[in-house]
Amino acid sequence: MRRLPQAWRRLPEAWRRPLAVTGGIMALAWVVIALAAPLLAPHDPLAQDLPRLAGPGPGHWFGTDQLGRDILSRVVYGARVSLPLTLLLVALSVLIGGLLGAIAGYFGRWADEAIMRLADLVFAFPTIILAMVVAAALGPSLGNAVLAVLVVAWASYARVSRGLVLAVRGQEYVLSGRLLGFSTWRSLRVDVLPNVTGPILVLATLDMGTALLLLSGLSFLGLGAKPPSAEWGAMVASGVEVFDSWWVATFPGLAILTVVLAFNFLGDTLRDALDPRTARAIKERAL
Amino acid sequence: MATRTNLTALLLATALPLAACSGDGSRTPAAGDGTLVIDTSFDLKTADPGRMYETTGMFVNKALYDTLLTFDGSDVKKPVPALAKSFELSDDGKVLTLKLRSGVKFSDGSPLTADDVVFSLNRVRGMKGTPSFLLEGVEVAKTDATTVTMTSKVPNPALPYILPNPVLSILNSKVVMKHGGTTDPKDKAEKYLNSASAGSGPYKLESLSVSSKVVLRANPEYYGRKPAYGKVVIRNVEAATQKLNVQRGDSQVALNLSGDQVKTVAGSLEVLKTASANVIYLHATRNKSVSKTTPNPKFAEAVRKGVDYQGLLELAGAGSVQAPGMIPSQILGALPQDQAAKRDVAGAKAALKASGLKNPKVKLEYPSEITVNGLPFQPLAERIQSNLKDVGITVDLAPAPISTAADNYRTGKEEMGLWYWGPDYPDPSDYLVFLPGKPVGQRVGWKPGTDKAVEDAGEKAATVLGEAERRQAYHDMQTELNDSGPFIPLIQPSQNIVSATSVTGLKYHPVWTVDVADLGAK
Repeated sequence: MRRLPQAWRRLPEAWRRPLAVTGGIMALAWVVIALAAPLLAPHDPLAQDLPRLAGPGPGHWFGTDQLGRDILSRVVYGARVSLPLTLLLVALSVLIGGLLGAIAGYFGRWADEAIMRLADLVFAFPTIILAMVVAAALGPSLGNAVLAVLVVAWASYARVSRGLVLAVRGQEYVLSGRLLGFSTWRSLRVDVLPNVTGPILVLATLDMGTALLLLSGLSFLGLGAKPPSAEWGAMVASGVEVFDSWWVATFPGLAILTVVLAFNFLGDTLRDALDPRTARAIKERAL
Repeated sequence: MATRTNLTALLLATALPLAACSGDGSRTPAAGDGTLVIDTSFDLKTADPGRMYETTGMFVNKALYDTLLTFDGSDVKKPVPALAKSFELSDDGKVLTLKLRSGVKFSDGSPLTADDVVFSLNRVRGMKGTPSFLLEGVEVAKTDATTVTMTSKVPNPALPYILPNPVLSILNSKVVMKHGGTTDPKDKAEKYLNSASAGSGPYKLESLSVSSKVVLRANPEYYGRKPAYGKVVIRNVEAATQKLNVQRGDSQVALNLSGDQVKTVAGSLEVLKTASANVIYLHATRNKSVSKTTPNPKFAEAVRKGVDYQGLLELAGAGSVQAPGMIPSQILGALPQDQAAKRDVAGAKAALKASGLKNPKVKLEYPSEITVNGLPFQPLAERIQSNLKDVGITVDLAPAPISTAADNYRTGKEEMGLWYWGPDYPDPSDYLVFLPGKPVGQRVGWKPGTDKAVEDAGEKAATVLGEAERRQAYHDMQTELNDSGPFIPLIQPSQNIVSATSVTGLKYHPVWTVDVADLGAK
């Protein structure tokens, strides 16, 4: 009885707030669902053997779609499509955007100009439209959708990491490192990187929701997942055609909602935890 | 929003005084001066008969103009007189002689003459617009004030079935010429014809917006029976909203509800379900440079036997029927239902085995966003994919926007495709295009000279005269097509028309969907 609260108290304050706990539980739940999908799903997500457009009820708790497929099973399997792709997408954006931004900030001059003008170019387009154009040009598939979102997502990381690197570059400890004979790579890794990681991580977590929304948005428009794969955005799109059967679009929509919320909560928490300016406010509100 | 409010106000304004005199509080308008609101998803580019070929265009122009011949009700197997009071096809099938009805006036009061007929038909042919092909090789001439002859180079028994098409409406030649109308591609009358009509039909065009609304007013000069509704408003509304509007009483007719949508429609409304003349079909290319799998004739057989037709009908909803051949049930020469293909998984597996193909994998393309009579292609494709998986064929679905998909299809790059064919005119000769070497046959790489039996049957169907002989010839042609062709006819989805009980006389027509002038009020 006493050990649990103790373990609880060992958590940083930022993680003990209701939003953080809710976000954490929801995200964890979705990860478990994605991993254990074959055990959790009551039906084959592709089998068309149930009555068509049956409302939620015994045997099919989330109802069935136009083709008589179990929506619960499809939502569960959908986590296996959306979550890994979202993670992959954000990881790639961080890697590519972060690295490019660091190069721009650290080396300056023409590298800075070239990279940041490219980023400005990306910013000049409405995100979803540019992603749509790229996805449509490459042809509809999930891989291409990830690539399309990547094209628009890297730029914000480049901008943030450039700014951070630029601020750190002139610091005395970095300069002394260089004077002591650190190579560029070592200077970046040892002196600059630790100062950049925190803010980028916060941005990445907050971005997870946006990335999932963009990915499922592309699938909704028919530019992402290929049928018959169970993807939440595509499921919502098929639900729009049968508006009377509310359950077809509602449950995959709720899945998107909860995942996006979970990552937004986690991102907020992370930001508060890493930002010394908000530390006091958190202490007061911690559970 | 403003238009909606105005419209509601207008509806109330017409309904209120009527409700007061009928006493039962219903909104039913009296015959002759009521307003009818029809909701449909627009497929409308222009109201110029000579330039249109779209579903909504046919529907609108049918109300605005008259044609030489027409069809009685929804029967398209027998053309009947309209502006022509009689017609006669010569024994060799080349000359069609039409006697014009006298006393017909255009909506501006001027009389309709043989010159108007010649001008209108020559204009359609000479402008080289979308529908020009209907009159290709046909010469139109005036023999005297009330007689017109149409001479074709080759026997043309389909001509009486083509003439009822609203595309071949008779226009007021003086008015059209005054507004830039000519009988060659330089014609400039389209703009005028989108602002006003120049015809003799039961209605006149009051206003037209190809993206939102068309308003028709009864034509006081119309020679036939006066239409029951004085004003008809046709609005561009998405299917889901159509359902809400007609249930609320905001509209009286909804034309585009899907089989699933009409299942839950309010009980106080009438639902008319009729198999449409659109045939949804699969094709598997014969072009060996496009696919190594589908040109194998046993492959098409495996697909034909592997598809669960009942399962597809279930998706399309009540009123839909299986298509035994490419020619739909309404048209002369359609195969009877007992000759429709049936699912036979064991037979399909045997055919696949005989083909020598090992675990074949094919790409199935289809338009992702259009619907046929409210039915989207996606669920059909997914069901076919699942059907063929049972047989041992892996289908990779490749939906694309209609423009991309149609381009791939027309240029013959599709391995397999899921498409539909609506008749250009209700005569079986429209289906000769599916033969080897003909336009649609060419799209699937079916070269002339590769399938003698089908080509001979097609040749016979194209040239034979006489109703019974033609019916038999087209039966034979389709049986051959089904035996060895690359096309697999699937279903004719139901056209569902939902209406208020006050609207009577609704009938689905394969060419113009609904004849507004035929509708009555109760």
